[in-house]
Amino acid sequence: MSRLRKEQLVGLLMVSPALILLAVFFLYPLVNSFYMSFHKWPLFGKPKWVGLDNYIFMFQDERFWESLKFTFVYTLTVTPMLFVVAMGTALLCNAKAWGTTFFRSIYFLPVVMSFATASYVWLWLYSEMYGVIVYALEFFGFGGENKNLNVWKTGTSSMWAVNAMVTWKFSGIQMIILIAGLQAIRDDYYEASKLMGASRWQTIWNVTLPLLRPSIALALILSIAGSIQAYEQFVIMTRGGPSNSTKTLVMHTVDMGFDYFKLGPAASLGVIIMIILFVLTVIQLRLFRKNY
Amino acid sequence: MRRYSSDWYWYYAINYSLVIIIIFPIYWTLISSFKKPSELITSEPTFYPHDLTLQYYDQIWNFDRIKVLQDTETEDTNSSGVEVEEKFRLDGEGVKRPFINSAIVSAGTIILTIIVCTLGGYALTVLNTPFKNFFFLLVILPILIPGISLIIPLYKLLKEIGLTNSHLGLILIHTCGMLPLGIFMMRNAFNSIPTSLREVAMLEGSSELKIITSVMLPLAIPGLLTVMVFAMYVSWNDYIYAFIFINSPENTMLNISLMKIALGGSQFEMKWGSLTAGSIVSFLPIIIFYTFLQQYFVRGVTGSAVKE
Repeated sequence: MSRLRKEQLVGLLMVSPALILLAVFFLYPLVNSFYMSFHKWPLFGKPKWVGLDNYIFMFQDERFWESLKFTFVYTLTVTPMLFVVAMGTALLCNAKAWGTTFFRSIYFLPVVMSFATASYVWLWLYSEMYGVIVYALEFFGFGGENKNLNVWKTGTSSMWAVNAMVTWKFSGIQMIILIAGLQAIRDDYYEASKLMGASRWQTIWNVTLPLLRPSIALALILSIAGSIQAYEQFVIMTRGGPSNSTKTLVMHTVDMGFDYFKLGPAASLGVIIMIILFVLTVIQLRLFRKNY
Repeated sequence: MRRYSSDWYWYYAINYSLVIIIIFPIYWTLISSFKKPSELITSEPTFYPHDLTLQYYDQIWNFDRIKVLQDTETEDTNSSGVEVEEKFRLDGEGVKRPFINSAIVSAGTIILTIIVCTLGGYALTVLNTPFKNFFFLLVILPILIPGISLIIPLYKLLKEIGLTNSHLGLILIHTCGMLPLGIFMMRNAFNSIPTSLREVAMLEGSSELKIITSVMLPLAIPGLLTVMVFAMYVSWNDYIYAFIFINSPENTMLNISLMKIALGGSQFEMKWGSLTAGSIVSFLPIIIFYTFLQQYFVRGVTGSAVKE
């Protein structure tokens, strides 16, 4: 056996664990999710081909449209919140000043906490009776005599409460992306703008932001794709309530599959989520390719 | 951009206020977990614990299926301190077993990810593996389709091969999720090592595995640490897989067991001490990783999003 031949074999051997894992836990489920979405899955017995019935069932289900709508509203509200905070902290950390490394590591800190833990932490902060947020609001004169400020009372207030938590927890990632973009801007631009006598805000508006566009696009796409996958923050904090008003697409899928045991419609929901995320990721990669 | 000293005053004022806002929820949780019940459950919160107690940690850690019956019917129990403390007993499972489960799954994921990604990255970079580029594209493919959209078929798969309710099932799924970033990182790491090093080792008659462990890996440590830290992040922080694929109490993961504490009572029952203590327990391992491996953490977590 020649040396090259041997090396090829060794190479195949070494890459095979990755390929096997990929085939079993990615490619097979991927193909199967389409297969499952076209079949009826009774608890016992063989699956039956039903064509598009699962999709029709799903589209006629009001809960699907409600969860889709809520997921979009959540995405559209949390994305600007995340972006504003991320942009602000990125600009602060990009200044040539003492302590930026420290500030950056603190701003990134909540990212390392899991969504689940962050949700538990904020559940305590929001606690109706003893939560520090209720106390703070009272202290500053909101809420008045009525000591029950329950953020979980309505769907809207629940969503904003969760949005605040997600902004706290997640803006660090976007901040890092924006900092990377900011650092790629050469000093010449700033010097030129200084020579022309631009004010700080003019510089940010006319120099920094346009040059930062690719990073901004990336950060936004990321936040959109992430929000569409939202699950644990709502499962833990609102449990989908009140009266299913904060149920996300993924939650609906999980309920469909594991509470109602309708595997077919659940699989077709998975396919829909897959298509939405696929399109977003392709846009994301495109943006990245084009600009770097 | 001209700057005056007053500007710097504002710069640090804003930064330090933000630092306080960001740290506050964590600080508040930490001190809450050490407060005595009477201090914790009050409408006049204190900003540092006046009396330290480890009782919640003791309760959630050592609690083992012994249900302490709560007497919630009598109204006047609040007046006597002993009875209030009785109520703090966690009604359910302790977190010791879930903590160990999560540690097993995380350790397993880290080890398996490192082995699979090192071998794969090496084969797809240094060696003349046939179909190298095709395999690489295949391995990168899962970036396009996040695993969350595959939960239903994944569940069915685990059922078919008998891996629901097992640590191994979770480890394999997490490792598979790590493949794109892991192989990508290891490929970059190996690419930056000059090929002459390997040739020298080959002339000395070392086997391929020996070359990896003694020549290549020591030089690829930054990449390796990034992969390791991210594998830890993914597996320790996972919720949805652990929630769906594990259903027996003795195999519960930490994040799920905290949910039991959170659900374990109405607003008026006093679960908060246990829940804050549990949150700290779940945050501790990852914050230790973050403290010591911060740059790899940032690279891993954002790399997962960016994938240059």
